[in-house]
Amino acid sequence: MKLEEESWENRHYQLCPMDLGLFQALERERVLEVLQRDKALRTIEADRIRRLKVELQGIYHQGAKTITRPYGQRSCARCQRPLGKFWDCGSVCCGCSHRICSRCRVVRSAIEWKCTMCHAFREFKIKSGDWFLEQQAKKYTDIKENGHETTGDKLLQSYQRLSFIAVVPPTPPPFKEVKSFNKSEEPKTSKPFTKSMENLMMSVSAHIRKLSKSQNDLSVEAGQLTVNYGRLNSRRKSLSEGALDRACNLCKAPSLPDLSQNAKSSEQYASSSSVYLTDDDVSYTSAYSDEHRDSNSSTGMDCGFFENSVTGEIEVAFGYNNRTSCLEITIKACRNLMFGDMRKKCHPYVKVRLLPKKYHNNKMKTAVRRGNNPVYNETFTCALEREQLVSSVVKVSVWHSRGLKRKLFLGETFLRLADFSLEKTHTQRSVWNTLGPKQRHSLGGDVELFPSDLLLLNAQLQFLTHTDDTLTGSAGQLKVVITDVWKLSVSKTAYIEGVLHLPGERELVQRTALKKTDALQMSFRVSLQELQQANLQINLWEKHTFSLADRLLRSARLAGESSWQRLQQSPGEWHDFVLPLHATVSTNMRS
Amino acid sequence: MTDGDYDYLIKLLALGDSGVGKTTFLYRYTDNKFNPKFITTVGIDFREKRVVYTTNSPNGTTGKTFKVHLQLWDTAGQERFRSLTTAFFRDAMGFLLMFDLTSQQSFLNVRNWMSQLQANAYCENPDIVLVGNKADLSDQREVQEKQAKELADKYGIPYFETSAATGAEVDKAVVTLLDLVMKRMEQCVDKPAADTHNTDGTSKLDAVPTAEKKCAC
Ligand SMILES: Nc1nc2c(ncn2[C@@H]2O[C@H](COP(=O)(O)OP(=O)(O)O)[C@@H](O)[C@H]2O)c(=O)[nH]1
Ligand SMILES: [Mg+2]
Ligand SMILES: [Zn+2]
Ligand SMILES: [Zn+2]
Repeated sequence: MKLEEESWENRHYQLCPMDLGLFQALERERVLEVLQRDKALRTIEADRIRRLKVELQGIYHQGAKTITRPYGQRSCARCQRPLGKFWDCGSVCCGCSHRICSRCRVVRSAIEWKCTMCHAFREFKIKSGDWFLEQQAKKYTDIKENGHETTGDKLLQSYQRLSFIAVVPPTPPPFKEVKSFNKSEEPKTSKPFTKSMENLMMSVSAHIRKLSKSQNDLSVEAGQLTVNYGRLNSRRKSLSEGALDRACNLCKAPSLPDLSQNAKSSEQYASSSSVYLTDDDVSYTSAYSDEHRDSNSSTGMDCGFFENSVTGEIEVAFGYNNRTSCLEITIKACRNLMFGDMRKKCHPYVKVRLLPKKYHNNKMKTAVRRGNNPVYNETFTCALEREQLVSSVVKVSVWHSRGLKRKLFLGETFLRLADFSLEKTHTQRSVWNTLGPKQRHSLGGDVELFPSDLLLLNAQLQFLTHTDDTLTGSAGQLKVVITDVWKLSVSKTAYIEGVLHLPGERELVQRTALKKTDALQMSFRVSLQELQQANLQINLWEKHTFSLADRLLRSARLAGESSWQRLQQSPGEWHDFVLPLHATVSTNMRS
Repeated sequence: MTDGDYDYLIKLLALGDSGVGKTTFLYRYTDNKFNPKFITTVGIDFREKRVVYTTNSPNGTTGKTFKVHLQLWDTAGQERFRSLTTAFFRDAMGFLLMFDLTSQQSFLNVRNWMSQLQANAYCENPDIVLVGNKADLSDQREVQEKQAKELADKYGIPYFETSAATGAEVDKAVVTLLDLVMKRMEQCVDKPAADTHNTDGTSKLDAVPTAEKKCAC
């Protein structure tokens, strides 16, 4: 490997997206993979920093409590303890210039100390990488304007635009197009790639290609297929949205025919959707009973009994105060709560929790009221960065208080803040929400990783209109990328299924096997009009080779115009969504 | 699988001519393996490693331990990727500037890489460790230790002779760089806005031997 003559003029290379256009398709793909891995890492990093920020805020709040003291009396700025005039009189912190008692100091050397707050801020600056961004900003003034985007960030964005143009096939008829799309998604580069895979030196691990390979192993074919499901869909439609949610969790969710096995047998599908448990199901339930017990024991005692009879709704309003960066949650009222014991009066209260748990540590509770239609009108405020709005979920649960820490579960619901477009308006938006039964995790072993009650998946959605599509009118494409797939790698045989329910009882189904670190992509051909009434269901299945029946582990739904509006308003742009993947009672099987 | 359970994310970057062993070096560091094949790195790549870092407190007390997640960027040395790779320089906190002990040319190019760094890194005097690789090929050696050491001293940076093949000094080189970056972080936050004129003009290329490295802040 002798070096070619290289030009070494010291030019300042301008990073221009078109630079990438100079590379070969294969090289671009390679770089794109690296960038995507980098993005996954940065997502984790951003989460970590958010947590650090919340911690820091906590310390600030603690230290900011001001207790008014008689004039002239000095007190420690951190703990408010009164300070003496001569003895224990405190000293001034070199960071914040406040007088600090000897207990609220963090000593770094014999002569150097800082108050707890200044120390915490210092730690934050180091641990969050703030120090680096500050340095960078000194040299690169553009950072100040454009925010701290990394080069990887910028490239990935320009790439995504670029690569999409290359990927979209020109006006193919709906069915053929499936093929051509797959082809372009699994680029022509697979040969050199496999070659390089043999070579351990390549650290590359995130690949769509790898995914598709293991798909074959699973004999689950990715792709799109339009399946017509006569009566079942009409049954679904007659259910209200909330009721459907419940139906999915409580009873056996209607399973979809396995594409690789028997795509045509819609009868089989219909018959397998019975709501009763079969023997198989029972054995599954018992197999997971340990975890159920776990989750029960932490939430109250005899909740299991009433689970199937949860009714009622809760009215919740949200508002976001941009000035104070605070989320306001108002619990207004409940109606038609179901309380099993007819002889006694219901004493309901509402617990509010901001999720994911690891970032938000506020538990909030209303007062206990009486009756089945309690009115609360209690507002809770939590500090929440504006950017966190889209990724946060509010869990609202209703409990009957029986005193002495004994409580009974009456219902719960999860509300995605992303659905409320809170960043746009200050006024509170109020909605009635159907209460559902308790969500459980049926995933083993990974309980510490995420809140046990639900798993939040970060997804990015994009809608593209194909202007050149003269055949089908205003066709478009919905692309879904799930970035934190690793959370789902529960078993080797897990696979993700995306089902886009469309008006006219049509469904687009796409299945993809899971690989740990990969970002998972799905795309659906759908028109703008159709999308408005569509709902997207993401199911996590586990393939069972021995029992020949697949098991539905988790499922999430994205529906409603508000969700799609964001996509439609800015076609071509990626939007972040958080998909709350609810664990399903482990009785959903399909063979 | 990466989770957020770490205290610091430190981004380091390896640079130097094509073929000096950057990819192999990083692979040795993260996986402790050697691959004799030469596969040209396409543009950029990175590897990750989680390490435990122990601080030595200034007053000699037992230091704290931290979990550090290292993101180690690998770059292509070839000219045609240059605009891409140098764009990544600015997001790295420390640099492994590598040359091949069996190639005089790669050593001569160190100076050029230095100026690339100066132009494209996050600050004028970032933390750098000079690495002469392929120390195991002693019969083919073209660059003498003394020569390289002199250059490193001129820049005021540490120098290591490593072998990705045997693993010699590989860890030490990375840990030394990590150490420098960790110290830099502390300096940056402890001397806020401590004037910019202690670095002006005195870029490392001007060969000012710096005994003690100062923070650019
Ligand atoms: N003997 C020996 N060979 C090495 C060493 N480091 C790298 N190589 C070989 O040098 C070649 C180029 O290495 P590579 O890491 O791809 O160089 P890069 O272009 O800088 O990434 C490969 O064939 C390596 O196996 C080393 O320390 N000793
Ligand atoms: Mg390489
Ligand atoms: Zn105090
Ligand atoms: Zn202070």
